[in-house]
Amino acid sequence: MRFIRVFPIIIGLSILFGVAFSGLAVAPAFAPSVAEPSPGLVAYTSSELKGRKIYVREGCVYCHSQQVRDVPADANLAMGFGVSRAGDYYYDRPHLLGTMRQGPDLANEGRIWRKDVGQPARDYLIGHFINPRNYNPASIMPAYNYLSEEELAELTDYIQSLGAWKDQPGESS
Amino acid sequence: MISGDYFGKPYKITMTITEANSQTAKTSRSKLVIATTLEQQDHATRVWLYSGIFWMVVAMMIGTVEAVKLFDPEFLQGVPALAYGRLRPVHVNIGIFGFMSMGYLGAAFYMVPRLTQTPLFSESLGALTAWVWNFNLLGGCLAILLGYSKGKEYEEIPFPFNMIIGLLEIAIAGNLFSTVVLRREKRIYVSLWYILLAIIPFPIYYTLGNSNSFTGIEDAIVNWFYSHNLFGIWLTALGLATLYYIVPKQVHKPLYSHAVSFLGFWTLAAFYPWNGGHHVIWGPVPMWVMSASVTASLAMLVPTISTMVNFGGTALGTWHIFKKDISYRFSLLAYFGYIGASIWGSILAIMSLNAVVHFTNMTIAHVHLGFVGFGVPGLVAFIYFYIERSLKLKYSQTLAEWHFWLTVMGILGYTISMGVNGWLEGSQWVAGNSPQGTMLMRYPYHVARAISGLILLIGQLLFVWNIFKTINYAPKNSPQSTIQN
Ligand code: HEM
Ligand code: HEM
Repeated sequence: MRFIRVFPIIIGLSILFGVAFSGLAVAPAFAPSVAEPSPGLVAYTSSELKGRKIYVREGCVYCHSQQVRDVPADANLAMGFGVSRAGDYYYDRPHLLGTMRQGPDLANEGRIWRKDVGQPARDYLIGHFINPRNYNPASIMPAYNYLSEEELAELTDYIQSLGAWKDQPGESS
Repeated sequence: MISGDYFGKPYKITMTITEANSQTAKTSRSKLVIATTLEQQDHATRVWLYSGIFWMVVAMMIGTVEAVKLFDPEFLQGVPALAYGRLRPVHVNIGIFGFMSMGYLGAAFYMVPRLTQTPLFSESLGALTAWVWNFNLLGGCLAILLGYSKGKEYEEIPFPFNMIIGLLEIAIAGNLFSTVVLRREKRIYVSLWYILLAIIPFPIYYTLGNSNSFTGIEDAIVNWFYSHNLFGIWLTALGLATLYYIVPKQVHKPLYSHAVSFLGFWTLAAFYPWNGGHHVIWGPVPMWVMSASVTASLAMLVPTISTMVNFGGTALGTWHIFKKDISYRFSLLAYFGYIGASIWGSILAIMSLNAVVHFTNMTIAHVHLGFVGFGVPGLVAFIYFYIERSLKLKYSQTLAEWHFWLTVMGILGYTISMGVNGWLEGSQWVAGNSPQGTMLMRYPYHVARAISGLILLIGQLLFVWNIFKTINYAPKNSPQSTIQN
């Protein structure tokens, strides 16, 4: 056993890695739930996409998840908005599921600050970006007061799109 | 042997005569060559190691700033490049690609020639790759700060910097692998197995993770497949290789059991690549992705316990060494950090528990026990070892004692504060509270974490000061080291 040469090691490692690679990286792409959009899902508009880029650039994902699970810790979210499904993310590139919740989950933010509420919802979101502590003095969210008016508007468009499609007429859940 | 008297001074010349073509002549001649060029030979090692230390300190500084921002968000506010969401990916990428990758590659560049009894394939390529890696990482991190992040965890570094990392790794792997192929020592010690595991598959999953050709959930699954390989078969493999190399030398006895290390290695190589899916337990992924990864995460207890038994057995009865050898003490600290983080990881993958603590600071505690509790002490142990055994220099014992105890305090402070915090957060959510509602509850823990970070940072600065003084103020004609180290 002490005289093992390199090649068996390399072949062994390649097989082990190859199996995991096919199982975990290749096979899921063919799962029907992953490969199809959820019914009713709409693609992002161009200003929403611009807002999404700002979300990526500013690293919002490090504090906000976009993922509601079917577990007791998410019971309130699941009750209000339903559990997230693979198809909900069909147009997401890059994905922004997140792994941390310093702040709340945003998967359904567009159903809380709905577009059809009009200006008050937008005013709240933009004001909150500029200084979250005007609304909640204990908030630890950074103040995005360095974003331009245009950027704030695009970011707001994106946030209001999150989950909004679930409310659209003709939706089937 | 000739001896005599030369102007009153006795002299003695020893000569060994061997047949010109014999095997012994060849090997003894090449050993001689190795011994005389060793000073130059460890050039690559040194560039990698010192860069690793540099990035370790930088990662900790940024980490401490972030930690402060998490309880005092107005701290350094107003500069876009220093916003929390931009600093955090820089902290992570510097931690992984700067500190851990570079430091442990330095150890690999040291170990490979010694374990193979062969000079490194190319010293200058080794040093060159280190310098390019440094500047490339700097460029990648500046790009993130300026707002060019790619946006997925562990693969934020944008093009072309990410591509350069991949290409450099191929050059590094080629350099180390050629040395292994050309080796004189036929036997392959455990450390070399781990190094092979680290350097060979890297380009595959790194390229996969950094290609932007996936969308939605598939993108997330690939992201986690890539990242977990990065922690498991890149960083952990390099770290374990280092521990397997230095610990037997520190305690002056062979490894407890080669059979157990065999078991530990192959089970690790078999199960780790399957772990990726445990980052999305209960998430919107196919059920079988989740179950496969949860199973693999629990199966990780086999390699973890093998490693635990193997090092535990080797360390048994070494209390006297533990007391005076700081380097060995750090090895054991790294050992506890590794075992702790790994068992903790397997437990986190238990689905019912993950349902409570996923998305909380419990993950952060686990991560930092891995990096700060295993990564930091492991590299530090290697550097003290290198200074003492290879450069034959003596560092300040007092400073090193301070360094050790500050590091221990920092690790405990960090993991306990974040572990407790995570548990409380999870329980609050289960009770119906929201993240906003736990803001005040988290405050003291966030302060405690920042203080722990500061303690860690001070400890590492003492360490840097100590080795800087030791190396720079060393007597110039310090004895040559030999390849047997
Ligand atoms: C002084 C020591 C350190 C401090 C104070 C610190 C602080 C932090 C903070 C505040 C976060 C963000 C946590 C959150 O999202 O809530 C973080 C994340 C992280 N840190 Fe550190 N850190 C330190 C050292 C290190 C080192 C040396 C590494 C080495 C690799 C490291 C790797 C990471 C990683 C990988 C994450 C991301 C974790 C995740 O995404 O789940 N940290 N750190
Ligand atoms: C047997 C060993 C291990 C197992 C089974 C394991 C398991 C896990 C699990 C289940 C999570 C996800 C927790 C959650 O999000 O709910 C996790 C996260 C993580 N682990 Fe481990 N772990 C192990 C060892 C390690 C070690 C040794 C390191 C560091 C060198 C490490 C680094 C990380 C990092 C960086 C993350 C955070 C990823 C993120 O959310 O950004 N793990 N681990």
